[in-house]
Amino acid sequence: MPILASRSLSLLIVAALIAWGIWLAQDAAGRVLSFSLLTGSAFGIVLQRGRFCFLCNLRDFVERRDAAGLVAILSALAAGIVLYQVILGAWVPVPQPDRLPPGAHIGPVGLVLAAAAFAFGLGMAISGSCLSAHLYRLGEGAFGSIVALAGAGLGFLLGFSTWNFLYTSTVFNDPPLWLPGIFGYAAALGISLSALGLIAFLVLRRAQRPENGLSPPQPFEAIFIRRWPPVITGLLVAVIGAIAYLRVAPLGVTAELGSLVRTAGLSAGLVPETLVGLDTVRGCLSAVKTAVLSPNGVFVIGLVLASLSSALASGQFRPSWPNAGGLAARFAGGVLMGWGAMTGLGCTVGVLLSGIQAGAVSGWVFLISATAGALAGLTGLRRLGA
Amino acid sequence: MTAIKGMTVLAAAALTSAMFAGSVLASDALVDSKWVQDNLENPKVRIFEVSVDTGVYERGHIPGAAHLNWHTDLVDPQKRDIASREAFEKTLRDAGVDKDTTIVLYGDNNNWFAAWGAWVFEVYGLGNQVKLLDGGRKLWEAQGLPLDTALPDHADSTLTLADRDNSVRARFVDVVAVAEGRNDAKLIDIRSADEYAGKIFAPEGVKELSVRAGHIPSAVNVPWGRIVKEDGTFKSEDEIKAIYAEKGIDGSKPVITYCRIGERSSHTWFALKKILGYDVSNYDGSWTEYGNAVGVPVTNIAGTVWTGK
Repeated sequence: MPILASRSLSLLIVAALIAWGIWLAQDAAGRVLSFSLLTGSAFGIVLQRGRFCFLCNLRDFVERRDAAGLVAILSALAAGIVLYQVILGAWVPVPQPDRLPPGAHIGPVGLVLAAAAFAFGLGMAISGSCLSAHLYRLGEGAFGSIVALAGAGLGFLLGFSTWNFLYTSTVFNDPPLWLPGIFGYAAALGISLSALGLIAFLVLRRAQRPENGLSPPQPFEAIFIRRWPPVITGLLVAVIGAIAYLRVAPLGVTAELGSLVRTAGLSAGLVPETLVGLDTVRGCLSAVKTAVLSPNGVFVIGLVLASLSSALASGQFRPSWPNAGGLAARFAGGVLMGWGAMTGLGCTVGVLLSGIQAGAVSGWVFLISATAGALAGLTGLRRLGA
Repeated sequence: MTAIKGMTVLAAAALTSAMFAGSVLASDALVDSKWVQDNLENPKVRIFEVSVDTGVYERGHIPGAAHLNWHTDLVDPQKRDIASREAFEKTLRDAGVDKDTTIVLYGDNNNWFAAWGAWVFEVYGLGNQVKLLDGGRKLWEAQGLPLDTALPDHADSTLTLADRDNSVRARFVDVVAVAEGRNDAKLIDIRSADEYAGKIFAPEGVKELSVRAGHIPSAVNVPWGRIVKEDGTFKSEDEIKAIYAEKGIDGSKPVITYCRIGERSSHTWFALKKILGYDVSNYDGSWTEYGNAVGVPVTNIAGTVWTGK
């Protein structure tokens, strides 16, 4: 597509998103939807421009010792923890173990979470990226991501069928641990930031300096063409996360998918009528659908369309369709991610990013286990020569 | 600059009084948002939010309002009962409530659980100090009035609660006596017409179930929503009186209200007791207790048979 045409189309999409946002905001119920749509759009732009993708960033580091992506993730977590603390401190001035902050993604911590996160990590290595990255890459024209998302749908279905057994076996006894509830705000902040600092130190020590052969970009090029600098990307992700939590709900990309699958599975008789404990666990991700448009649904739509617009503007929209092997890998990885996201009550965005920002121990467990799963997957694939 | 500020304040005051000029309260057990705004700083007034949706309070509440979590603060978390005297006394002491404090309750969902809270206060002898913010949280928000996330910190009081006054509380045996014709109290079932008729066991998505459908014999059906206006405020005293009179409830006999788990029926209890002044008690066991009880008479107009599905 000629660059002028693609940039015009990009502007048109942005205008359409804004117009839809204004139209939605006409009544009280719509204001939340409108806010969610625009937050999702902003998130889509930042993901695409900053190439904020958990697996790609990990792979860049493992294979090329390029730390830029990991620095973006660590910046997002660190800045997010600080911003979240500002909100949490207003809502729950005195943290107590039995009073969790409203709506925060603080999941039960136990073996099931670790296994789910490991499966998710393995799945993202096999399918090529995590669920949020599949969504923004869909906007870049990577249509194979649709197959990964379909696989994730099947994974969710499997997750729903194993949930009741897992819940009564162990999840029931797994406590939702909230760091400020255990240590207080100051110590929780100190512990979290120190842990991130340590990881950053280890990563940067082993990183190779990027070759700096590029001339300094002009402002237009820096914003619309080149990849955004990692720290700025991280800060923007953190700000969007905190704003979303303040006004609607913590960032997450799987709630709508989970709800769609649960509703469809329920009517087909494939999902148990009652998912024990699920609807009472904080950060639950799969209410049965009662409305066509949900805040998470419009968030995801905004994410994909804004990423498309951003890819069109930067000339990075490249329609592609993988070969049969690629499709199979995306589907299989998607199934693992779907099962992991359902069983772990979220994914890299919901549990890892929003969870760690909120001070949830479950976020850290997800980070460690999903990284282990992804590394196992990347190693395995390399051995297979894929 | 000061003059402009002064004019702005005057204009805002004029606008506010115009907004509330038409508000007429059905009884002095109700206060409107204007009254609450005027008393936000009043040390003798303590505001509590009791919302069905827990988590709403933390994200923003009426400035200075304390929180009553209905899952833990108003009930006994172990057995099915209202909060124990010791636990409730501690909650109120922590909130600085004293024997001369005016207690204002409000919440989401048309004050459902705020009214339930009012009933619990009544059981513990503080009913005369309690007022409901008419229209609740919904109207406060609709009027664009401010919300705050700060939590109030009041000096503890030394309040001592009275023993439970069970005259406003109907127990299972009381309603069985009505059903069997040994007690001539009037029963009001405030659930939906379909639940009353026995067409459904419980509303969609509800987990508190009974294995029999229908209603307690002799109960009349007046869904709670009939006595509120579009904006969530109670209808006028005369209108409410007429709605119940139509169903044979005129205050000449004691009244018992019930619903599914006994919380929504507090809304009707409040209207009858506090607005109309009738002798009324709330059956907090409600249909989940009665519809599961063995051997009691049931009226099931629809004839639905429970099949475990």
